[in-house]
Amino acid sequence: MKHEDFAAQLDAYVDGELVGNEARDMELHARECATCAHAHERHLALRSAIRERLPALQAPGELRSRVRLAVRAAAGVTPARARPDWRWLAAAAVLVGVAVGTWKISDSRASAHAIAGQVLASHVRALMGTHLTDVASTDQHTVKPWFNGRLDFSPPVYDFAGRGYPLIGGRLDYIGQGAVAALVYGRRQHVIDVLLWPTQRGPTGGPAAVTRQGYHMLHWSAPDYTYWVVSDLGVTELGEFSRLWRQADSTAAR
Amino acid sequence: MEPSQLTRFEAAVLPHLDAAYTLARYLLRDDHDAQDVVQEAYLRALNYFDGFRGTGAAEGRSWLLAIVRNTAYTLRANRRPDAHATEFDETLHSEGGEDEHPETELLRAADRAAVRRALDALPVEFREVIVLRELQDLSYKEIAEVAGIPVGTVMSRLARARRRLERALGTRMKEHD
Repeated sequence: MKHEDFAAQLDAYVDGELVGNEARDMELHARECATCAHAHERHLALRSAIRERLPALQAPGELRSRVRLAVRAAAGVTPARARPDWRWLAAAAVLVGVAVGTWKISDSRASAHAIAGQVLASHVRALMGTHLTDVASTDQHTVKPWFNGRLDFSPPVYDFAGRGYPLIGGRLDYIGQGAVAALVYGRRQHVIDVLLWPTQRGPTGGPAAVTRQGYHMLHWSAPDYTYWVVSDLGVTELGEFSRLWRQADSTAAR
Repeated sequence: MEPSQLTRFEAAVLPHLDAAYTLARYLLRDDHDAQDVVQEAYLRALNYFDGFRGTGAAEGRSWLLAIVRNTAYTLRANRRPDAHATEFDETLHSEGGEDEHPETELLRAADRAAVRRALDALPVEFREVIVLRELQDLSYKEIAEVAGIPVGTVMSRLARARRRLERALGTRMKEHD
């Protein structure tokens, strides 16, 4: 092999685009030829300088939310069965002179079935993406204020690290057309999402359990908020987590 | 759009938001523009999604990055119509400099700011192949899809871009001699 051939193939070699004999010839030549070995070394040094000094970037949480919202709005996705409820709610809001900043979800009317599908989709989407959270923090006093100005309610945030369910962070999500708070907790290698939004009207109650595609969900409606908890965790532990949450809620309410 | 179609779309392209942002940020060298381009690209992607035939995650990435890249170029052209007058010329931008001998030790010692400066100083056509190859680990074939150029051109652009970077980072400046 000549120097010129080595130089011409060097980029492809360094980039792992050469296979079999081609790669072997390059390797053999570099062992015998100091000039080419040096060129190879220089290429590797440049490559590690770039890769180590300039890591790929993470999209800001704000952009993540913006993109998700824009895509959903552009797709015009509205659960067919729930649509009349929003119209009705909007009309009611106008009648009583209440300014409604964001669309709300009426649990009493929109079927739990439709919500379960969206809650699960939200959870799976978050797990598939490169991160689960818009705000990553184990500190509830960091996570709670993050939602200020992003939602028209201030969600309760608790930390159960002492009980083996540490807080990981939070993100904005969308159920129906409404922005909701999603809080993320860990349990060993499992992830638990708590999606919550203000309870509109209708009966409070629960918890009720739903299982789909190997994921378990528990949902209940307290006077203030409606909760959906979703994880691949076993139902027993998910039940324990939900009890901790409801206890914390009733303690906070006192 | 059908909810099932939206779910498919979100599964195919939402996981690549970081890659999209990285490419836009380096191409445009401005965070605000990069965020606008990413959002715009996602909306374009949604419109074109019927034409997306891929199944794997990697195909979704190349497909989305090609749209991000085109959206970024459109913004650049609108911002600086004069800059577009000078078409990128493969040979013009590959002048010699063979007499200089970059030093490997200097390349190793280059700090983050210097690497960033050297990359930002490259013409955008060189910058994009470096970002796609080194920061996002795309293969030549994937880079060719994203940038809309033949695989052979990917290789020659990478080689030229690297020679420039080596010269910028591996050559001692006069005042330091």
